[in-house]
Amino acid sequence: MSMHIGDSPEEAAFREEVRAWLSQHAAPRSDDGGSWHDDLDAHSVACKKWQRVLFDNGWAGISWPKHFGGRGGSHLQESIFNEEQAKFDAHTGLFAVSLGMVGPTLMAHGTPEQQSEFLPKMLSGVHVWCQLFSEPNAGSDLANVATRAIEDGDDFIVNGQKVWTSMGQYADFGILLTRTEPDSPKHKGITYFIVDMKSPGIEVRPLVQMTGVAHFNEVFLTDVRIPKANIVGDLHGGWAVANTTLTSERGFIGGGSSSWSVDELIDFARERGLDKDPVVRGKLAECYARAQTLTYLGYRLRTTASRRTMPGPEMFVMKLAYARHWSRTMDIAMEIAGAEGMLSGDAAGDALHWQHNLLGQFAIRLGGGTNEVQQNIIGERGLGLPREPSVDRDQPWRLLAKG
Amino acid sequence: MNFDLSDEQQVISDLAAQIFTGQSTVDRVIEVESGDGFDRTLWNELAKAGLLGLCLPEEHGGLNMNMVELVLVLEQQGKTVASVPLWSTSVASMAVAEYGSKELQAALLSSVIEGHNTVSLALSNYGANDVMNPSVTAVDSDGGVKLTGGKPAVSFAQHASHVLVSAKRADDSILLALVDLKASGVTVTPVQASNRQPTANVEFDVVVPASHVVAGLNGNGREALRWVHEHALVGLCALQLGIAQGAITIMSDHVKTRTQFNKPLSAQQAVAVRAADQFVTTEAIRVTTLNAAWRMSEGFDARQDVLVAMYWATEGGHSIVIACQHLHGGIGADISYPVHRYFLWGIQISTELGGASQHLSRLGKLIASK
Repeated sequence: MSMHIGDSPEEAAFREEVRAWLSQHAAPRSDDGGSWHDDLDAHSVACKKWQRVLFDNGWAGISWPKHFGGRGGSHLQESIFNEEQAKFDAHTGLFAVSLGMVGPTLMAHGTPEQQSEFLPKMLSGVHVWCQLFSEPNAGSDLANVATRAIEDGDDFIVNGQKVWTSMGQYADFGILLTRTEPDSPKHKGITYFIVDMKSPGIEVRPLVQMTGVAHFNEVFLTDVRIPKANIVGDLHGGWAVANTTLTSERGFIGGGSSSWSVDELIDFARERGLDKDPVVRGKLAECYARAQTLTYLGYRLRTTASRRTMPGPEMFVMKLAYARHWSRTMDIAMEIAGAEGMLSGDAAGDALHWQHNLLGQFAIRLGGGTNEVQQNIIGERGLGLPREPSVDRDQPWRLLAKG
Repeated sequence: MNFDLSDEQQVISDLAAQIFTGQSTVDRVIEVESGDGFDRTLWNELAKAGLLGLCLPEEHGGLNMNMVELVLVLEQQGKTVASVPLWSTSVASMAVAEYGSKELQAALLSSVIEGHNTVSLALSNYGANDVMNPSVTAVDSDGGVKLTGGKPAVSFAQHASHVLVSAKRADDSILLALVDLKASGVTVTPVQASNRQPTANVEFDVVVPASHVVAGLNGNGREALRWVHEHALVGLCALQLGIAQGAITIMSDHVKTRTQFNKPLSAQQAVAVRAADQFVTTEAIRVTTLNAAWRMSEGFDARQDVLVAMYWATEGGHSIVIACQHLHGGIGADISYPVHRYFLWGIQISTELGGASQHLSRLGKLIASK
C-alpha cells in the first residue's frame, strides 16, 4: 500500500456523504462556537437531541461493531465524520466520556450482559456517563485511589470522594475506581465498577470554574451499594481496565475536535485590522504550523491504529503537543483581542469565545494525564530513559503515605 | 489515508541506513574532516547503489522516484553527519531533469548518477538572503548569458564540477544556469563553514552558453527558481530530521549512563522532561517534512506545507541541537566527543536558506491574505 496523506477516493466519497447528511440535519457553525459554556443546561439538552438524531440515522458509534449497535465502520471514518461535524453547530460534549471512554472500555472488558445492557442506550443518548477516577489524593498518581469498596453479600458498599468529574451533574451512570484490597500493592488492589448515579448515598456538588460554569463536580459516596454484577474486568484487576479508559481519553483529548480553529483566529485578527501586522502574522503562522503538525500527527496515529492495537509514544506526543498548541494560541488570541480581552460575559463581545478557551485550557493541559506526566512517559517510551525509581510500587497500599 | 512508507520506500530507507551507518562511522567522519572534507568512498558507494540517481529519469540511468524517497535518504545522511554533497547534487540535477534541455540532460545526468560529476547549489545571496531576489546579475549576450556577481557559502563548490546558480536580469526576470566551476571567469574561494563542511564563496564573471541556461530563457525562471527553492528546503528539512535523531540518540545515551549524585542524569526530572521535549519536536519535523515531500511528489501545491516543515526544521531543529549539546555538560565542549557536529550542522541548516522568522513571515503572508 502506498503512502497517501489525505483522503483516498473512498474516503473522499465518504466525506462527501457525511457533509451532505450534516448539511441537511445541522446548521453551519456560528461565530460564537463557545457560547454553550454559558448555559450548560441548554448545552446538555442540545447534546441529547443531537445524539438521538445521529442514532436514528445510523451515525452513532461509527467505529463500533454492529453487534454493539454501532455502524461497523472504521476509526478513520469516525475521524472524518468528527472533522466534518466540527464545522456545524452540533453539540456533542455531554457524550465525550460515554462514547470516547466508557464505550471502548466496556467493549474490551465488559461482560456480555453489561455490553447489551449499557452500550445501546449509550449510543442512543438515553444515558449519560461520567468518570469517577480522580480523588483529592489521587491525581497524577491515580493508582493511589482510596475510595473503599467492601464486599457485602451480592454487593459492595462504597465510601469515598471523587473529583474533577466532568458533567457529573447530568450523568445517569459512572465508571468508578475503588480500593478493594488495601494489603496489595497499589496497582493490584483496585476494582472497576459501573455505578448508577441515582443510587442512594451519592451526592454531586458542582465546582464553579473561572469560566463561570461548573463543568466539573465533586462526587461524595456514602455507603453506596453496587451489585457485584457491575464489576468490569476482574475483582482487584481494575487497573488494567482503567488503562483502556485512559488510553481512550488521551486519544480523544489529543485528537479532539476543538471548539476553535486557527482559521477563526485569522478572521478575528482580520476583523480587528491586525492581519497586516507583521508580528501578528508571524504569530498566526506559528499557530497554523502547529495546527498542521497536529493534523499530520493525527493522521499518523490513525495509520498506527489501523495497523496494530497499542500505539507507541505517538499518542503522548500528540496529547502534549495539542495542550501546548491550545495554550499558546489563546495567548495570541488575547493579544489580538486587545482591551476587550479584559472584559467578561456579554461585555467581551467577540473576545468572549477566546477568553473562555484561555480560561478553560487547564482541562486540556491536565486532563488525561498532565503535560508533565506525558513528558515522563515520552522520556521512557520514546527515548528509552529508565523508569523513574518508584518507592511505592511493591509495597502494600495500606502502608503508603497518604496525602 | 495512509502515513506508512510503502514497501519500496522502506527498502530505500533501509538501504540508505545501511550505507551511511556502515561507511560514515565516527572514525571515518574524523578522517574525512582532517582531509579535504569529501568522503569519495561513500560517494562511490551511493553511486553503486543507484542513490545518486534516485529522483532522475530512467533514460539516463536513474530510479525515477520522488521527494519522499530523497527525504528518506537525506535523513540517513543527517543521522551520520556524512560529508557528501548529496543535497545539492540531488536538487540541482533534479532541476536540470525538470527544466533543462535534452542536450544538457544528456551531458550531465548520467555522469552525476555514476558519481563522476557533482553539483553545488548557489541559491543564497549576500545581504538579506532572499532566495527569490538573486544577487548575481544576468545580461543576455551573444550565444548565451553573461553572469556577474557573487554567491556566499556555496556548499562543496571547491569539489563540485558544476554549480546551479540563480541570477536576475535588469527587468527583474530570473534565470537559472548550470555553470562549469572550472571555467575561466569563475572564481572559487574556499572558506571555513561553521559545520566544517567544504564550502566556498563563488564569483562569476562569465558567459554561459544558452544550452546551459536551465530556465529563464522562456520566461519560466521565477517558477523554476521557486521549484528549486522548495525542493532545496524540503531537502534541508530531511537533513535536519536526521540531525535531530542523531543528536537525541547520543544525548539520551548520555543522560542514561552518566551518573551524578549516585544516579543517572535522566533520573533528574528537569533533565528527563527536557530530553522528552526534543523527541516531541523531532516528531513534528518528521510528520511535516513527510507531508510536504508527499504533496510535492503528488504534484499538489505545497507552498504552505513546505514552510510549515521548514519552521520546525529551523526553529525546532535549532532548539533540539542546543538542548542536546547543553545536556552533555562539559563533556560536549570537547570536540573529540561527537555531539558537537550535530550542533554545528543543526545551526547551519537553520541558517542555510533563511531562519525561522523568514519562513514564518512568508507563511503568515500566505495564510492571512487569503
